[in-house]
Amino acid sequence: MSSDMKAEEQTVHNPIQIDPETCVKCNLCDWICPGDLIYKKEDNRETLPVIAYPDECWYCGLCQSICPVDAITVIFPDQMINCQTDVKTLLGKVID
Amino acid sequence: MPQKWNSLDTDVLVIGGGVAGCMAAIPALEAGLSVVVCEKGKVLDHCGSVGCGVDHYLTIMESGPEWDTPEFLIKHLPKLTDGIVDMAVASRVIHEMPKVVRKIESFGVNFKDPRFNDYYRLRSFGLPGTYHINFDGTEFKKHIGQRVRKLKGSVLTRTMAVQILVEDGRVYGAIVFNFRTGEWTVVRAKAVVLAAGEVNRISLNASGMAFDSWHCPYNTGDSQAMAYNAGALLTNMEFVETTITPKGFSAQGLNALVSEGAHFINKSGERFMFKYDEKGENARRAVIADAVINEYLLDNGPIYADCRHLPEDILDHMEATLQIDRYTMPAFYEQKALNFREEPIEVSISELSIRRSGVYFRGSGLAVDTDGQTSISGLFAAGDCASVSGGIAGAAVLGHVAGEGVASFVPKTNGSLPQIDMETADAIREKAMKHMEVEKERGLSWKAYEAEIRQTVNDYIGVRRNEAGLRHALQTLHALAKRETDLKADDLHGLMRIHESSSIRLNAELMATAALARDESRTGSSHYRMDHPDTDETNWKKFVIVQKGSEGAETTTLSASEPLAAAFARKN
Ligand SMILES: Cc1cc2nc3c(=O)[nH]c(=O)nc-3n(C[C@H](O)[C@H](O)[C@H](O)COP(=O)(O)OP(=O)(O)OC[C@H]3O[C@@H](n4cnc5c(N)ncnc54)[C@H](O)[C@@H]3O)c2cc1C
Ligand code: SF4
Ligand code: SF4
Repeated sequence: MSSDMKAEEQTVHNPIQIDPETCVKCNLCDWICPGDLIYKKEDNRETLPVIAYPDECWYCGLCQSICPVDAITVIFPDQMINCQTDVKTLLGKVID
Repeated sequence: MPQKWNSLDTDVLVIGGGVAGCMAAIPALEAGLSVVVCEKGKVLDHCGSVGCGVDHYLTIMESGPEWDTPEFLIKHLPKLTDGIVDMAVASRVIHEMPKVVRKIESFGVNFKDPRFNDYYRLRSFGLPGTYHINFDGTEFKKHIGQRVRKLKGSVLTRTMAVQILVEDGRVYGAIVFNFRTGEWTVVRAKAVVLAAGEVNRISLNASGMAFDSWHCPYNTGDSQAMAYNAGALLTNMEFVETTITPKGFSAQGLNALVSEGAHFINKSGERFMFKYDEKGENARRAVIADAVINEYLLDNGPIYADCRHLPEDILDHMEATLQIDRYTMPAFYEQKALNFREEPIEVSISELSIRRSGVYFRGSGLAVDTDGQTSISGLFAAGDCASVSGGIAGAAVLGHVAGEGVASFVPKTNGSLPQIDMETADAIREKAMKHMEVEKERGLSWKAYEAEIRQTVNDYIGVRRNEAGLRHALQTLHALAKRETDLKADDLHGLMRIHESSSIRLNAELMATAALARDESRTGSSHYRMDHPDTDETNWKKFVIVQKGSEGAETTTLSASEPLAAAFARKN
């Protein structure tokens, strides 16, 4: 087993941008995210939502669609927008 | 200090509050039973695969023409499924379709196209009629979820089921935990419906991002894993599913593209689909995927989806509805600066799922009978984890069938429920909580653990398989199983993910085991054995059934002319 199976930190792309000026801190995005990624303190009109697990985003846009004030923008990372993977590498290896 | 337990008694426990789970809860509630839905999401109206919307619904409507009758579609089932289908269960589902679509309409879902105030029905995926209603299903799930709440179903939200409780071949509840609060609950139930969806996050895709997946990445085959561990029979686990997606974004949209008339072309501009199927782009999903794979292997890639020839009004409709099936698709094209009206869209195959291998009515997962009951008494299953499935309609109809099955099963149980063996419950929780205590030096991250599973599936259990590769994969997967106790959870969210990783690994093992047993090829790349490239109609018109044996996963076969229930040992 490879050594990179040890937990390690990397900088990760932030999938959603929340405009702090527009956000009305309503909690809807936290409630709706199917991946349990967005954490926002309940009953608190001061704190902004936090994307706690950015690399687990599905890019479904549910948070954006539910936000009452359009404070959320989904931003795709370069790996998706400008994907350079050779599709043949997804088609399996053949061993005898 | 021993943590306290919450306990709950209910007639019915539904695990997974998606389409199938909600539709199963409804008839049980209507019959006056108490129902608890255990769901990882927080809001029933939006949780699961289709919280953001859907755009097509497969159904018989009995609108007049012969093709729109159950009998006509049933007649075509063997051909649609390459002979591997439980005719008894699929026929029941098809017969129930008109009733269920009308029932869903009564909840407030509008299936009609406002342009003509009528159903806009299209043909796709090799079906022998225009069975798909294309509609704006943005609120589809909302209406179904609301119905459950209106009928006073209770919901345990942000709660993951980790184990079902079975004694003497009968289910009597489950152990679940809330990954926000850390509360653990023992739910005692007279019947349990498993509806936690298909298996995703199981192989690689073009972006290399595990959660960029066509299907919901938070559905990780937990129903299949829990039921397998409890002794239930699973089938069709060898078949994998993939689709064609815009390269870099594993997303929905194939149905809309092909049903509206898009072409697939290769790097030379050749429209190649007719080489593979007389229906061209209207072939079954499995055939389209297979053709694209072949073209890539022939070095004819990149492959593109081409809409440039389509009339303006169709392009307008496509553009206007682009976001219905995947809300973020317009943003993806925009950020990529791609105009699909004027440029072809480069496509890739998606990652794989274990679901229904691009074939309607041939589900991969828990074998069920015509009431949706599995081989374990009182344990029902529906949706993308069951042996007959077909998108939202398949989930809705079999879910409803299972809900009716539960409603007739529960009154026969005389209200009796065994006492929960709290020692077992404590042991299950303790095993889970140990992941929070793994020391840093020994600790494995679930991300890296899963990455190894995905690489293994991609390389040896994916779209090209042979015996050597499958055996190699099984070795790796068995070795990973031994390291599962080293998985380190940093928090409760991580503990939830670790349980998902464990299900993913187990499902990969079941897939490899079943794929090894089926020494023929069937349905193109859904199960392509390079060492047995031909379809063997003489010996392999059979289901491969997987079950837990004393030494791990064991397989048996059953003639596909029999219902899967013929392999069940349960008596009732
Ligand atoms: C974006 C998108 C668009 C789609 N569009 C269409 C369409 O237009 N037409 C169509 O026919 N099909 C469509 N599909 C497919 C369709 O959504 C699925 O086939 C259908 O939802 C299957 O229903 P299900 O109930 O099995 O799964 P889901 O509806 O996904 O429900 C599964 C539920 O189980 C929960 N869960 C998972 N594990 C656990 C656990 N351990 N404990 C508790 N809860 C758990 C999940 O949170 C989820 O809510 C689409 C899928 C996606 C992802
Ligand atoms: S839904 Fe929008 S307004 Fe509400 S908390 Fe989230 S970002 Fe802020
Ligand atoms: S895009 Fe979807 S998965 Fe990502 S943060 Fe928003 S709701 Fe969650």
